[in-house]
Amino acid sequence: MSAVARTTRAWLMVAAMVAIAGAGCTPKEEVATAGSFDPQDFSGTWDRYPQALDAGRDPTTLAIPAPDPIPDPPLRPEFVDAWKAERKRFADANAAGAPIATGYTHCIPDGMPAMMQGMFPMEVLMTPRQVTFIQEAYNQVRRVYLNDTLPAVDDAEPGFWGHAVGHWEGNDFVTETIGIKDYVQFRNVPHSAGMRIRERMRMLDADHFENEVTIEDPEYLTGPWQWKWVYQRRPGYKMYEYVCEDNREYADPETGEARMRIDTE
Amino acid sequence: MKTTGRLLAALCLVVGAASALAHHSFAMFDSDNQILLKGEVTEFRWQNPHIYIHMRAPDAKGKMRHWTIECANPGILNRIGWKFNMIKKGDQISAVVAPLRTGEAGALLKQVKTADGKVHGNGGPAGPPTISIEDGKKLK
Repeated sequence: MSAVARTTRAWLMVAAMVAIAGAGCTPKEEVATAGSFDPQDFSGTWDRYPQALDAGRDPTTLAIPAPDPIPDPPLRPEFVDAWKAERKRFADANAAGAPIATGYTHCIPDGMPAMMQGMFPMEVLMTPRQVTFIQEAYNQVRRVYLNDTLPAVDDAEPGFWGHAVGHWEGNDFVTETIGIKDYVQFRNVPHSAGMRIRERMRMLDADHFENEVTIEDPEYLTGPWQWKWVYQRRPGYKMYEYVCEDNREYADPETGEARMRIDTE
Repeated sequence: MKTTGRLLAALCLVVGAASALAHHSFAMFDSDNQILLKGEVTEFRWQNPHIYIHMRAPDAKGKMRHWTIECANPGILNRIGWKFNMIKKGDQISAVVAPLRTGEAGALLKQVKTADGKVHGNGGPAGPPTISIEDGKKLK
């Protein structure tokens, strides 16, 4: 079999797997609030869009176009080789059936910006002082303070979700986030303490909103790294708790590979 | 050309959806060589980051072993109709699983038939069964 045929076959298997098994992930009511909507109200529960169900669907029939795939980061030339090697190390380990342990193996949450990819449902709360994003996976909570000012980079204690402020520009909710720990990385991309995550969120219709993400980090990037995520309303959903209480997967101390703890009885 | 474009667009959707759902690699499990386990539950742990079924069942060679079977998490499985108490210690169940490549008695669940006879999948990221939960024969 040619390499192209092998690749195509692998993709089709993934497509079939996701299409078959993903049906259960579909919200029961897809659209509940058609018609008029408040363009400055993101409150509610949301899924990442499109969902797995859409994999088997002609994309031209989607109500909202799917966002483009996330491009590679515009890394400065001196960092490109190391980044590619790291991505290859993970891909090769997966292909060999011996995946490398990630933060998830240690029950470590995504942090920013990965939290906004919407692995599980996301809840948005809007209150006078802040907009709060809650991601079901790992009980992640991110607070974006309204009409506030960010600390200087040197005063911004690093964290998983950092320090975030937001304001309205027309009907766009515009945020700015700094203060992400250096080992909290998205797609293995290194960053400096000065990394700035900018977001521009806008309602597309009553049941979808998009988040245009821009990463700025002159120390590591030659220019802005941009992509969009889109979310679809999950009406009536009540968020589950998520305490990462007993992870049987662990990193092998010698090889770094993910392993699973077995109970013999 | 149009067909190719649509196929590519569909694949992009799949990639997006898959990366959104699968929060870690399942490469340590051998999904190409699934096995059917029939036996008695010793413990059912409803928890994050994964639910686990512990059970005693013979392996493919007939040797009785104690299995640790990884399922998705409470959020995913609640959303597809599982319930926190639908499996209990002492239940006789069947499970189609992808065993660990290391040969240890650990596995990823593909499908389970509970004591009441109902069959449940394990959510999108874990993937579908390739063998029958009734007789272990390859599904067409």
